[in-house]
Parts: sequence; structure tokens; C-alpha cells
Amino acid sequence: MTTATAQSTDIPGTVVTPARLRRSAAARRHRYSRIKMWLGAVCAGVVIIPVLLAQVLPLQDPVNGSLAQALLPPMTDGHLFGTDANGRDLLSRVLHGGQTSLLIGCLAVLVSGAIGIVAGSLAGYYGGWIDTVVSRLLEAQMSLPLLLMLLLVVALFGPSILVITLVIAIAQWPEPARITRSLVLVEREKPYVAAARVLGLHRLTIIGRLIIPNILQQALVVVFLLLAQAVLLESALSFLGAGVQRPYPTWGGIISDGRQLFITGQWWLVTIPGLVIALLVIGVNLFGDGLRDRVRRTKAAS
Amino acid sequence: MAHEVSGDRTSVRAATPSRRTILQLAGFLGAGAFGGPLLSACAGPTGQSSAVTGGGEGGSLSIVLNRNLVSLDNKLNQYDAAVTVQRAVREALTRIGDDLTPQLVLAESFEATSPTVWTVKLRNDIHYSDNSKVTVEDVETALKYYFQVKAGYVASQFPEQPAFAKIDDRTFTLTTKKPVVSLMSLMSNILITPAKANKPEELQGGIGSGPFVIAKSDSGTGSYTLTRNDNYWGELAHLQQVNVSYQEEEGGRVVALTSGQADVIDTITPESAAKLKTDPKVDVIETPGTRLIHLFYNFREPAGHPLSKVEVREALSHAIDHASLIKALMNNQVSSAEGVVPKTLSGFYKTGDYVYDPAKAKAMLAAAGATGLKLRVIWEDAEFSGASQVLEAVAQMLNAVGVSLELKMIPKGGEINAWRRGESGDWDVLANGYGNQTGLAITNLVAQYAGTAEKEKTRDTYHGFVVPQITDLLDRASQEVDEAKQTALLDEAQKLIWAQWPAMWAWTPNNVLAKRKRVRGLRLRPTNAYDLRAISVVGS
Repeated sequence: MTTATAQSTDIPGTVVTPARLRRSAAARRHRYSRIKMWLGAVCAGVVIIPVLLAQVLPLQDPVNGSLAQALLPPMTDGHLFGTDANGRDLLSRVLHGGQTSLLIGCLAVLVSGAIGIVAGSLAGYYGGWIDTVVSRLLEAQMSLPLLLMLLLVVALFGPSILVITLVIAIAQWPEPARITRSLVLVEREKPYVAAARVLGLHRLTIIGRLIIPNILQQALVVVFLLLAQAVLLESALSFLGAGVQRPYPTWGGIISDGRQLFITGQWWLVTIPGLVIALLVIGVNLFGDGLRDRVRRTKAAS
Repeated sequence: MAHEVSGDRTSVRAATPSRRTILQLAGFLGAGAFGGPLLSACAGPTGQSSAVTGGGEGGSLSIVLNRNLVSLDNKLNQYDAAVTVQRAVREALTRIGDDLTPQLVLAESFEATSPTVWTVKLRNDIHYSDNSKVTVEDVETALKYYFQVKAGYVASQFPEQPAFAKIDDRTFTLTTKKPVVSLMSLMSNILITPAKANKPEELQGGIGSGPFVIAKSDSGTGSYTLTRNDNYWGELAHLQQVNVSYQEEEGGRVVALTSGQADVIDTITPESAAKLKTDPKVDVIETPGTRLIHLFYNFREPAGHPLSKVEVREALSHAIDHASLIKALMNNQVSSAEGVVPKTLSGFYKTGDYVYDPAKAKAMLAAAGATGLKLRVIWEDAEFSGASQVLEAVAQMLNAVGVSLELKMIPKGGEINAWRRGESGDWDVLANGYGNQTGLAITNLVAQYAGTAEKEKTRDTYHGFVVPQITDLLDRASQEVDEAKQTALLDEAQKLIWAQWPAMWAWTPNNVLAKRKRVRGLRLRPTNAYDLRAISVVGS
């Protein structure tokens, strides 16, 4: 009682004090989402910015090295991350390999996002047999073991950036399609859609010009979160030897080569690219998670 | 509950832990209780053995191979390490001894009664693990099936299929159209199985006359359990049981050995060997090998292709800095070839050395009009130790002389055979290992370089290598009974083969095997195999 009375002196006639507001669940969620976004941006930025600048940074050739400088540990002879068995600078290989991984990841996410949003919107708005077909396709694909399917397709069509991008994109479209479908199901019942119908707008116009812009923010957050998964998938394929062909570096490929040497003390060949992948994935996920919390709150407020 | 009511207002005591805090604390404690032991368990090998070392005579041995054994038959599949296990169950008429000469096993005698006829007499006391006799018919069936199986590895080493004729219950003759002087060595690869149980395909189970029997097998996972054949016709094995498994991951195999889960691992990389030499509980055994690994050219290229010119093939060889490769990527555990077969083989002739001279390579390529050459190299995953790194370094070296290399690794699973035959796609250079189980240079030479136009029609030559003059010399050498004359013919053939520059570079790796010190009696042969019967495991 004493506490309540003392605190209520801040704002007469109420127990809602700034201190309590700061401790409230809503404020905590807001703080958490901001922290997550900052932390995520820092983690992802630490990886993405140097990767994007790999061509302009004074790095050594990622493909050609000197056998005389093989397996140098980190911080030796100007090699910040050390060298691999072929005497190539690991920092250069990690950054150039990251370009491949990020390129494939971004392209795959763009393609899968586009497919997912279009298919999900059509299924959600039209319903009927379109919804049935899209939903069954989603379920069919989600029931398949993902990595096995990817390996099969890459084995059939050969490992190239285009094939790997398409394979990952097609593997990931169910996620945005599902979320888009459920969002469109809600949106299509709203008065503005009914008004548009009364005005005689074509159904595709309603979807494209009215519904999709309204759900895009939430759908894009989900698509963004797929980036981490796409990078992981690309790395897994490269690790298993089904990624971009040698001698071009990929994160999974560097780890795959390094694992043979890990046991003999050359820890940096596995650990450093592993940490880079982990940083990127954690960063993207934290940022995406924070973004999702923020979008959800904004939507609820509106 | 931790709240008190003041009028119509509710205030929460700041000092009282909320449900959220309690749940978070419980979560941390739960994660710690669950994850702690798990983390410590994952931290590394404990050094305790989970292998059954057995208290019986000789104990139990655990072998972890680097490739799946696939079967206990060698009709299609005979990589070096597999031979050890295959011959523990099935035996041949002869075997190749430590000095790479043929020795009698199931045969009591194996004699050339005329230049084209060999008379073989089976031992009287030999029998299978079920006590049934090893018969002449079993040998006939086995020989027939080795030649019937498609793309057989063993059959390709014979210049021709010997005709079989039974004389009596223990004696038969092997007759060839032309003399085959190495027949006794070649027959060491024909493993004998009861005729009724034999098939013209790889056998997954069945019995043999060897010192061990198959107790359990799973070709899918590559796990086999062999137990001692107490009915063995010869001296019984010391070991009670042999567990064979495969672990593709080299690091996994090294950890298995150092932690005591495995007793023997073989075909290990130079890096692992260097690491294992520092382990007081482990012995690393190294012997000169008989396996040749080469970057072999595709001789099926059309006439206008740059690689069809000898000068281009030679020029590319000068671009390879093999001394650096051997030092940096192979830890000095291989030797650069000095001929077309490993120098450990009987009949080897030193034809020359691979010389690194990039300036000469560039000049020769320019003179041959082969500047800006683009080549595709293929290899099967894990065909040899550090294959990917070696080929990436080779690509870099060739790049320095203006040749760009596309590297294409073929995953394991048999597809490489289709590639080698040119059925799955085009390639220019194949990185490939060629094992030898007879100890004779002529076995390699015949299988690789005695191609004919007839054989090439069915793509049964060694990547299209058909040079009639060399084939003729090797044919004559195969038939030559006089040792001096045969040596002269083989020397001449090897000189001619070398002059063709069939490989960009070739090398022979040492056989490297690591075993726990408790494993006794293991003698690694140059063929990268050992006799399981002589091994025992003492203590833990």
C-alpha cells in the first residue's frame, strides 16, 4: 500500500508511472525488439559489409595461392585468418566465398518470395480449386526431406549458381505462400475489398493493387527470415560437394576441406568460416525477429 | 499470491520474483542439468575403448576403412584395403607374398607344362568353412564368372581368358592361346567360392575357405562381422572376431583410433599420419606402395584436339611443380613416378622423370599452337588422399602457363565408370588411382596400355589408349617364357609408352596404416594389404 501511494505521487490520480511503463510487457517487447534489431544488424553487418567490399579491399587472390605458405595460422605473415592447405589467404576466401553464398541466398529469397506471395495471394483470394491445388502442393513439398531433394536436383542438373539458386528458391516458397494465404484470407473480408468489388475492379487488380500492398510488410519479414535458411542450405550443399564447383570458394566448401585438417590442429579452417556463417545467420534471424515484432505491433496499433 | 490490493488498485511487489522470473530460472537450471553432461560428453574422446577387445585368444579387432567395402567379393571392387578383408573369407589358388612373388595357397602345385598350358593340382586338405571340399568345378565356375561380369576389374588384367579342362578330382589345366607367363600371379585375384553359391556378380554373403567366416554383413552401411573359422584347413587365426566398418570422414577415423574404438585405420592422409605419430598408444606403419595415381589424358579426343598431340601432352607435364605438391600437400609421403608403373613392381623400367619447367611448357604450347587451352579434369571423390587440394593446385600451376582447368568432382556411387567410358560427359584429364595386386609391372601394362581397336569398340581400353606397336610388344612380353627376353620387351614397351606422355603427372603414395599398439603381428605388404590370420590383440 505504501509503495503504491508513493509511486502514484508522480502522476496524481493514477498508478501508471514512467517507471512502471518501462517495466510493462509492451515496453519490454518494444525494447527487446529494438535490441534484437540492433544486435542483428551488428552481427549481420560485421559479415555482410566486408563481403560486399571484398572486391575493393586489399585482399589476396582467393583462388591462387603459394604452396610455400600453406597452413599458416591466423595473424601470420599478413594473413589475418591464416591460410589453407593450398597457401591461399583464408580471409580472402571467406569474403569471396561469402559473395557466392549471399548472392545465391538473396536471389533464392527473391525468387521464393515472389513465387510464395503470388501463389499464396491467389490461393487466399480465389479459394476453391486454386486454393486446393496450391495448398496440396505446399503440403506435398513440405513433406519431402529438403536437403535430399536439393541434392537430387543438383545431381540431375549439375551444380551451377543458377541451378542452386532455383533449387533453393523452389524449396523455400511454401513458407511465404502459407503466410500470404492466411493474411489474404483475412484481408479479403475487409470492407475496402468489398468496396473495390462493388466498384467493379478486376479481381487481379484488387489483389495486386489493394491486398498485396497491405500484407506485403508482414510477408516480407518472413521472406527476409528465409535468407538465413538459404545461406545455410547453400553452405550445406557446398559442404556435401554439390555446391559451386572448385576452385571458387564457398563457405561450405572451405569447411569441408578444413574438416580433414581440424583433427591435426589446423582449427582455423573450420572454426573461422563456421563463426562467419553463425554470425550471419544469428544476425539475420535476430534482425528479422525484431522486425517481425515491430511490424506485428504496428499492425495491431493500426 | 504476491500481490496486495489498495482500494481499486493493484500493485505488484518489486522484491517478489514474478512467474516469468521463476520460469526463466527453471529454464536455465533445466538447460544446465540437461546440457552440461551432454556438452562434456561431446567435448572429446574419453580415451576409453568401446570396442570389444575380448578376453579370448587373440581377442577382437576393429577395422575402420575409408571406403565402403560393398561386398566380400572382388569381381568388381578391389581397392587395396578391401583385399585384406576379402581374403580373410575367400582364398585363391595363389597369393602374392611380402616379396611380391606368387605363393601357393589352395593349389598344391601350379606348373607350366607347356608354354600355353598350366597344370594345377589342388591341395588334398582344403575345405570350406562348412567342411565341404574345394573342388575343381568351383575353380572353373569362379574363373568363368570373373570374365562374365560386366566391367570386371580383375578380368581386365588377363591378356585372355584361360580355357579350363578338368583332369581328375584335384587336377586341371589352364590353357591359353598365347603363353601367359604371369598366370600364376594373375590367378591370385580369382577368389574361390562353392560353384552352387557363386554368381556372375558381386557376392554379398556366402562361404569361403578362408580363416574367417561372415557372421553378419550389411553392405549398405558397410558393416561386417567376421568370426574365426574353427574348421579352417590351415593354421587357425588368432583373432576371435573382426569388426569391419567404414568411416569416410578421416577425422572421425583418427578419433576412433585414438579413443580406442578402432584398432586399425588405413590409407590415411599425411597430415593425420604426422598427428598420429605423436600418440604413444598408436603405431604408424609406412611401406612403399604399388598403387599408381596419375593425371591420365583422355585418348578418345578427336584427331584435331590439342591433346592428341604428344608435344602438348608433354608441355602440360612441364607445368606441374610436383616437388612443391609433394612437400606441401603430400607431406613427402609419395614419390613422383620415374616410369609408367610404380618402381616397386617387378619389371619396372625407369624411363625418365617429370621435370618442372614452366618456361619450356609455355614455349612448347605456343609452338604447338595450343595457347589458351581449356581442359576439364574429373576425379571421383576421395579417389586419393587430398585429391581436391592437389587438383586445385594443379589448376593454379596450369593457369600460370595459360591453360585453364575446369575441375569436376564426381560423387561416389559408381558414376565414375560411366564418365571414364565417356558415357556421362566429355573430359580431358582423369585423376585416377590404379592398384596392383600381383606385384608385376606387366599386369598394369597389359590392363592399361595393351588396348586394341577391337576393345575400343566396347570402350574396354584404358581411356582410349590404343597404340598397336605397344600392344604388340606387350602381347609378346606376355607370351615370352624367357625372362631376359621378356624383360627386354617390357623395357621397350615402357619406353614407348613414356614417349606418348600418357599422363600429365603420376606418383606412387606410400601405404600408410595406423594401428593401436595392442595389435600385434600386422605386416603391411606393398600391396597395401595384410594377413588377418597372423594378427592378435593383446590387452586393452
